[in-house]
Amino acid sequence: MTTVTERPAASPAPSAESRRDRRRRERIEEQDAAIPVELYGLKRGTVPVLTACCVLFAVFTLVPVAWIIFNATKTQANIFGTFGFWFARPFEFFHNFRMLFENVDDDGTYIQWFGNTALYAVLGGGGATALAAFAGYGFAMFRFRGSKVLFYIIIGSLLVPIGAITLPLYLVYAKAHLINSIWGLILPSMVAPVGVYLMRTYIGLSVPRELVDAARIDGAGEARIFFKIALPLMVPGLMTVLLLSVVGVWNNYFLPLIIFSDNNKFPLTVGMGLWSQHATTSGDQNLYPLIVMGGLVTIAPLIILFLILQRYWRSGMLLGSIAN
Amino acid sequence: MAAIALSQLTKVYATGVKALDALDLEVADGEFVVLVGPSGCGKTTALRMVAGLERITSGTVSLGGQVVNDVSPRRRDIAMVFQNYALYPHLSVYSNIGFALENAKVGKAERDRRIRAAAETLGLGDLLGRKPKQLSGGQRQRVAMGRALVREPSVFLMDEPLSNLDAKLRVQMRTEVLRVHRSLGAATLYVTHDQTEAMTMGDRVAVLLGGVLQQYDTPRALYDRPANLFVATFIGSPSMNLYEAGLSADGGSVARPTVVLGSQRLDLPAPVAARVAAYQGRKVVVGIRPEDLVLGSGSGSGLAADVRLVEMLGSEQHVYFSIDATQAGQAAAGAAAGESVEAAILAASAPNGVTRLDPGVEVRPGDRVTFAVDPARLYFFDPDTGQAITG
Repeated sequence: MTTVTERPAASPAPSAESRRDRRRRERIEEQDAAIPVELYGLKRGTVPVLTACCVLFAVFTLVPVAWIIFNATKTQANIFGTFGFWFARPFEFFHNFRMLFENVDDDGTYIQWFGNTALYAVLGGGGATALAAFAGYGFAMFRFRGSKVLFYIIIGSLLVPIGAITLPLYLVYAKAHLINSIWGLILPSMVAPVGVYLMRTYIGLSVPRELVDAARIDGAGEARIFFKIALPLMVPGLMTVLLLSVVGVWNNYFLPLIIFSDNNKFPLTVGMGLWSQHATTSGDQNLYPLIVMGGLVTIAPLIILFLILQRYWRSGMLLGSIAN
Repeated sequence: MAAIALSQLTKVYATGVKALDALDLEVADGEFVVLVGPSGCGKTTALRMVAGLERITSGTVSLGGQVVNDVSPRRRDIAMVFQNYALYPHLSVYSNIGFALENAKVGKAERDRRIRAAAETLGLGDLLGRKPKQLSGGQRQRVAMGRALVREPSVFLMDEPLSNLDAKLRVQMRTEVLRVHRSLGAATLYVTHDQTEAMTMGDRVAVLLGGVLQQYDTPRALYDRPANLFVATFIGSPSMNLYEAGLSADGGSVARPTVVLGSQRLDLPAPVAARVAAYQGRKVVVGIRPEDLVLGSGSGSGLAADVRLVEMLGSEQHVYFSIDATQAGQAAAGAAAGESVEAAILAASAPNGVTRLDPGVEVRPGDRVTFAVDPARLYFFDPDTGQAITG
């Protein structure tokens, strides 16, 4: 790796501008570069109508989230007895949160399911991202016999609904001893056709062929070109695929439902499903606040993940690399 | 032994397009050879085949006497500068230049020494810590050069390395590239579409058209003895004036043949007449370099012309005129000039010739002038084959 990291003092270092100043400047430049909405040539009144539509849609999307936040602070009686979109006394948020991590009805514990989900998401989502990167790079960079057909088969697999293949899938799993095995969930989660498709498209646009050619002439092997040259340029695409696959595994309900019968292997989705089943059938006094709080805690990591990954979605990765 | 030898090199794409047709070319050790031609002539394809980035349909590429058709690019000991630089955007200048050495497992101390030496040669010493996006166009171009020369390769390939620079920087970098070439002494194959670059830089220049080698010679020879109409129009700016003409024996006397240009005639002296003797009484294409048309009718041969347009360049002026003669080789000239200014002007106001005059000479559009022509400096081409008539 490089041994020279600091910039020479003599040169006009762009780092003289602080990070915050740069952000602000970039935001202003972006605003300046955009065509003002008055110049779009739209009919009068179009913009307010469109804005209203967007607001409506945002409200529609956010209402369930708001409901879950309000009701995570309530007792069971208040969940049913008070207005859903405001707080009510007593404020039970911390109590509910604490209860969530205690064993309920010997059905297995929330913390166990949370750990399971995290494990499945990391291995399945991470694996899916890695495979999508390899496969996408292969499809984008190399022409080989059957590459097109293979790619179309992968895309075609998107069209098959999981419900249609449940029975054969179960039979295959039984033969492969994957029933009640965590690999039964992780391995299929690692196969992400959407990820392969996204990565192929992204790599085609963001990793110029000339760079790969240049690296070849510079004496780099294909593996080294992939890891040292292409991979750093693929990061924004990879983060998209990572987020999609982690969310996919995190929210997966159907597959774990059919392959797990052991409560201790449940992910959150199936565990919470079990709880709400018990809540409706047994009328357990304490379950509803836990289900609501459980829902909130379930979605929180995804929101945090999204916020963390956001910094990787940036443009200008190729600035200075390729002229014109 | 030639450093680079191309033998019957042919490239046919899957679509059936023949990009390169049986190219034979040798580059000696330390020689600077320029491949030049209009876009789509196959010059970049040829270069990429030498680099190993393009599959060879037939023929061979030899480097240092070894046929390398099936050798991967990384084992060919070549360095290449790409048209758009192809710098690694996430690596510093230092790492960009050092990447090849790292791949070759050169020791850290030696690597550092060579990177700094290359950077010093190219005036990049202060920029080693920067990323490509923090560099100007000229600096990026230098990094691309540095990345190639740090390897001390036996063969240097350059694919239009200056085409993305502004005009002034391009002229500056020309000398820079030549200086680097001399200090390295590696055989260099340089691709460009710019005939000025080819003429000023190449020890020898290979002119390509439609995948076929037209002529391979020194710049001087290309200018003085173009092999055919295409080379004649492609090399030199403004382009050579070409007219359809007849060769006749004046008044029946075989000793004094003349060129008949429209309604005008130019007497040919004996040595020139001998050169074109075989075409006596037939149609030919006559070529006149712009600088060979001198204002003022001296005694002897002269051509009357109407001035249409004057372009003052400061050091000289280009005077576009029309004479009573049919312009020849339009197809070839059009292909050569592409969308050049000359072609556009020629098409717009219908002059059919151009000359280069001293800026002090007073000429205005609408003037009727007479040009003196030295018949010894006329070029003759066969109108059917386009080949030069050399006698």
